[in-house]
Amino acid sequence: MTSLKGFFRGKTSIQPIWIFVIAIFIFFSFMSEYFLSLGNITNILVQTSTIGLIALGMTLVMINGNIDLSVGATLGLAASLAVGLQEISMTLAILAALGSGMLLGAINGLIVWKTGVNAFIVTLGAMLGVRGLIFLYTGEESFYSMNFAFSDFGASTIGPIPVLAIIFLLCTLVMHLVLTRTGHGRNTFAVGGNPEASIDAGIRLGRHMMINFIIVGFFAALAGVLLASQMGAATPNLGRDYELWTITAVVLGGTKLTGGFGSITGTLGGVLAIGILRNGMNLMQVPAFYVLVILGAILISVLIIDKKLNAPSTKEVRI
Amino acid sequence: MASAEQPKPGLPTGKLNKAGLMSFLSAQGILVFFLLGMIVFSFFSEQFLSQSNIMTVVRQASIIGIIAVGVTVVIIGGNLDLSVGSMLSFSTVLVVDLHDKIGPTNAILLMFALTLMIGAVNGFLIGFLRLNSLIVTLAMLSAIQGLVLIYSGGQNVDIANQEGTWFAFFGRGYLGGIAVPILIFGLLAILVQIVMSRTGYGRRIFAVGGNPMAAVYSGIRKNWCVFSTYLISAFCVACAALVLGSRVMGSQNNVGQGYELLVLAGIILGGTSLLGGAGSIWKTVIGVLILGFIQNGLLLMGYPYYTQWIVTWVIIILAVWLDLANKRKRLLTTHS
Amino acid sequence: MLKKTIITASMLAVSVTAAQADTYRIGITQNNVGVDSYQTTYESAFEDAAEEAGNVDIVVLDAGGDVARQIGQMQDLIQQQVDAIIIWPTNGQAVIPAIRQAHQAGIPVVVTNSKIAEAGLDFIAAFSGPDNVQQGISSAEMMCDALDGEGQIVQISGQPGYTTAIERATGFEERLAEACPGVELLETQPGNWNRERAQRVMEDFLTKYDRIDGVYAGDDNMGVGALNAAKGADRADEIIFIGATNFAVGYDAIERGEYYGSIYQSPVDDAEAALQTALDVLAGEDVPKMNFFETPKITAENLGEFDRPVF
Repeated sequence: MTSLKGFFRGKTSIQPIWIFVIAIFIFFSFMSEYFLSLGNITNILVQTSTIGLIALGMTLVMINGNIDLSVGATLGLAASLAVGLQEISMTLAILAALGSGMLLGAINGLIVWKTGVNAFIVTLGAMLGVRGLIFLYTGEESFYSMNFAFSDFGASTIGPIPVLAIIFLLCTLVMHLVLTRTGHGRNTFAVGGNPEASIDAGIRLGRHMMINFIIVGFFAALAGVLLASQMGAATPNLGRDYELWTITAVVLGGTKLTGGFGSITGTLGGVLAIGILRNGMNLMQVPAFYVLVILGAILISVLIIDKKLNAPSTKEVRI
Repeated sequence: MASAEQPKPGLPTGKLNKAGLMSFLSAQGILVFFLLGMIVFSFFSEQFLSQSNIMTVVRQASIIGIIAVGVTVVIIGGNLDLSVGSMLSFSTVLVVDLHDKIGPTNAILLMFALTLMIGAVNGFLIGFLRLNSLIVTLAMLSAIQGLVLIYSGGQNVDIANQEGTWFAFFGRGYLGGIAVPILIFGLLAILVQIVMSRTGYGRRIFAVGGNPMAAVYSGIRKNWCVFSTYLISAFCVACAALVLGSRVMGSQNNVGQGYELLVLAGIILGGTSLLGGAGSIWKTVIGVLILGFIQNGLLLMGYPYYTQWIVTWVIIILAVWLDLANKRKRLLTTHS
Repeated sequence: MLKKTIITASMLAVSVTAAQADTYRIGITQNNVGVDSYQTTYESAFEDAAEEAGNVDIVVLDAGGDVARQIGQMQDLIQQQVDAIIIWPTNGQAVIPAIRQAHQAGIPVVVTNSKIAEAGLDFIAAFSGPDNVQQGISSAEMMCDALDGEGQIVQISGQPGYTTAIERATGFEERLAEACPGVELLETQPGNWNRERAQRVMEDFLTKYDRIDGVYAGDDNMGVGALNAAKGADRADEIIFIGATNFAVGYDAIERGEYYGSIYQSPVDDAEAALQTALDVLAGEDVPKMNFFETPKITAENLGEFDRPVF
């Protein structure tokens, strides 16, 4: 209970995205008889956990003022490794998968740090290249886990709550605490808010950024392993476009692309907003073609509203 | 030359020669890569340097190239455009579908008008409402793809009589022995390069992208400048759609999917910085051609198609790195 | 006579009321509607068929080609406790656990169009769709006939990793090697079910190989892309084009004599067969596991026997 209180501590007012989440939640509850049930809500949590986990790491990277476009490919590689190496050993497979994510994050971070090349360019390159590595490793094949224990884990529950949802919420809590309660979290805001000043303040800028790239790589890989456990398989195209939805969710949650501002609670709201919209529109049987237009329109509307609300105080930096 | 500078820690030893070589490499970096790549590929595949192969590659690259010309202008103006892929699908489906319904001339005119309208929406949201271009064009990427599908009902569109229409000219025709797509790409590149380097308008775009505040203080109407870059981008997409629609004489709804990334990769390879205020159309042309030759060369050498992605990854980072290193006269950053 | 009519009428009335009282709710999650006309036509044919059946309430979902989203949709359908689920798998292996979940929840699953891996067959009520291995075999036989058992060919395959693409390619390659060893398959590259991409692949083939006698494309959409490329290089006359899933553009090209042949596969048959299979399962009938609908060869010789495809 104390942790829950701590979760919302320091928030003087509710974030705009949460007002939106509550509004669509109420809307869909009235519009579809299937929406408001424990089963459906846990479904939403499981379905959003993939993008959600990546978004946790992406929030830190974006508060740093960087971006990572390679997360979708990282997820795909981790999923393929997690399934492909199971023949040797399950533990090894999962460790290798998570390790690959952290390694790719470290490579991205190291390149950004040492060469000074913009993170957008570095990770755009990695997005293409890592996808190439997946195809090279898998030979364009899907991998299938012979071990049903793996997919049983993906479908398992504790009480009525799916394990994947619990993992996602726990990680959210941990990352919230990291961002708000630790030195690393404070530095993350400082670096994004004013890189020059943060160097003067003794923050080791390059190293710091690299750690955040490793974190996002880890979460992308974790999301890949958990997704693979839901499928008992991995496909070479897995994770395509996920970087776009992850960035969308993080921005919806109020994190500024210019860096220095953002929160995990906001990101959670952004992720849930997309998840609830997709789920609710499915239940209402909105044709798939319209869903794309509606999601795009909502995103732009949120940006406009956000601009209007924050227009007078654009310079504030929260530490 | 750069050898006058004392090499800093992190630079490899063998100072003078390597520093000199490095500075040469990075000044002419992308051209060197280009030539090096051509030599390697021609060594491994005898068809690579044949005239017909070169023509094929340039013609294939011209669709990405035409779009890249427009996006380069947006980037010089300090923004991004990720919506070009969906826009290409939209414009191609539109022009092909309308071809049989209202005739080629009307179809082309209407397609240009509607594509420019989408560009205007982008330009309005980013230029006047000052929204972040990355996110706006990302949202547009999704929304426009939805619009295409709603418009076509998800069906492929085709031109029934492929032989009997002059519409074939744009994608399949030849003028003076050169394929029309290449001519369109070349003309557009020359035209936009002249506009960007020789006119007041071009200078204003550079100013807006380089230092927005200073540009505003010097009386440049920044909103209109940014707005106009998205019109140019949309115009280029419409030209690309003309080539693509005519080349295939039909279209699927997702035909432009992923083009935004290839276009960006080409621009970055050419050496235009994403920060705005710098860059050139020439660089973009070379970047796009490199992308095309990598793809073709690896394919001719018998490597599977996805190896080009890995090679592109490495080359993009090396190219940009060398460019930066040359500017700061050192290989590595000083951050710790 | 009159009596008989009355009896029949009353029986009909009874069956109608019974059907109304007993409305089935069937959910379908499709692969990627809108990516090509086959899938879009399938969707509208499915909706029409459901309307015609009368006693069916359908939930139509589209995975947009994303495996993860399809699994989410399966979970949503299980959550809604629909009476049956029809799935057009985005991937033949990755959807198996989700199908197993439906099976465990007591919901019968019918797989449509594209097969799932063998490990999943225990959890499905039935498969309904074309026999893609057989289609590959048929195409190989057509290629043999057209080339008189001698020549060099290239293959443009569908989306890498997608079951239909793999099965067609396997069927084609195995049968070709067996039936006419004189035909050499020079190279295979994926065209991703995309005409423009296939056109580019073919352009590269044309520069790479001075002699190409035949092209096998995983569907007509790609086959016509290859034909476009060959026409552009003035080499269309010397090449035999064979595809699959006959599209309207392919049909027209066969009619013009530019395209040798294809496999006739109707999305309307496909959709109706899927719904009928699901209804049979729900009615408690004994349904065979594998239900293939006819997909005959189509060439200039028998073109007149087939309607022009609507897609």
